[in-house]
Amino acid sequence: MGMRVEEGESDAALVRRTLAGDSDAFTGLVRRYQDRLGRYAVRMLGETADAEEALQDTFVRAYRSLARCDPERFGAWIYGILVNRCRTLGAQRARRRKLVVGDASAVERASVAHSEDREAWREAIEWALAQISPANREAFLLKHVEDLSYDEMTEVTGASVSALKMRVSRAREELRRLLAEQTHG
Amino acid sequence: MAERDDRLDRAIELLREPVSLRSDLEQRIMAEVEAAPPPRAWARPLWSALEWMRRGRPVTVSPLGGLALAAGVAAILVVGRWSVGPERGPAAAEDGASVVQFVIHAPAARSVSLVGDFNDWSQQATPMQEARGAGVWTVTLPLDPGRYRYAFLLDENTWVSDPSAPRALDDEFGPPSSVVTIGGS
Repeated sequence: MGMRVEEGESDAALVRRTLAGDSDAFTGLVRRYQDRLGRYAVRMLGETADAEEALQDTFVRAYRSLARCDPERFGAWIYGILVNRCRTLGAQRARRRKLVVGDASAVERASVAHSEDREAWREAIEWALAQISPANREAFLLKHVEDLSYDEMTEVTGASVSALKMRVSRAREELRRLLAEQTHG
Repeated sequence: MAERDDRLDRAIELLREPVSLRSDLEQRIMAEVEAAPPPRAWARPLWSALEWMRRGRPVTVSPLGGLALAAGVAAILVVGRWSVGPERGPAAAEDGASVVQFVIHAPAARSVSLVGDFNDWSQQATPMQEARGAGVWTVTLPLDPGRYRYAFLLDENTWVSDPSAPRALDDEFGPPSSVVTIGGS
């Protein structure tokens, strides 16, 4: 029988309770992280169904391997699992589709009326994000959307800080160019 | 330039917005989690391990591990034999387990632990012993036939994989690890 998860209970305490056999504690970790991890997966993969698959797979793998996790580093650890699942799933999807359906017209529509047409602006950004390389997209999202530090990003991705800074910089430049070219084109 | 940065900033702001995931995702995750074996520390009774060591039986190591052993690549790690025999003896066939000796040359280490799938990556479960103060650390384990990922933990903070053994390609939960395959009877 599991115990209730207290609001302010630390990740480390929940990890330890899970390892002691309390699966309710793991529910607490799922609730705490699923929104942030889900957002990253959706932005990274571009498809909600793919993101949900990656997210479910991530939590199940994390549970099975929880004894390998430093309880004090659970957040970075599970991000690392998700990043890898997104890489794998993204590569599989790319091979299957072989074609990214680019919707440049969304950018044009957004350039005309992005303040009035928020949905068009959203599509434009998602389209631009899908155009840049997965490695650059990954670094950009972790840095600017998930607010991870470069040290945390190194832990999550396995890449060096200098490589990550380069990827973020390239991603920013590519996104600027994609959005600007279309809106001024 | 200010206009271009403003466009990117607005894109980041939008990407940070929450995403909508299916409402039953948490239930689906927890249903799969609860069907999985609990992530608990591996704990074969000590008497059982001692009994296996007393018997001293042959072990089948992975091809690369065996090659490393034959070539004398012992500077870092050897996965070797507890007792060498031309083939698996009848005792080994009784319940299929084998005794495996792990060895690492780590002269500067103050402590070394073996971590792996067989002990749920517990950092405390399998400490290694230094042989005659020569920097050669060993531990012997009974292992059932199967494929195991493993690594060495030096001084409780440095993770070392085995350069003489295959790298675990499916490792996504942390630092690199190696693979040993224990043959069946």
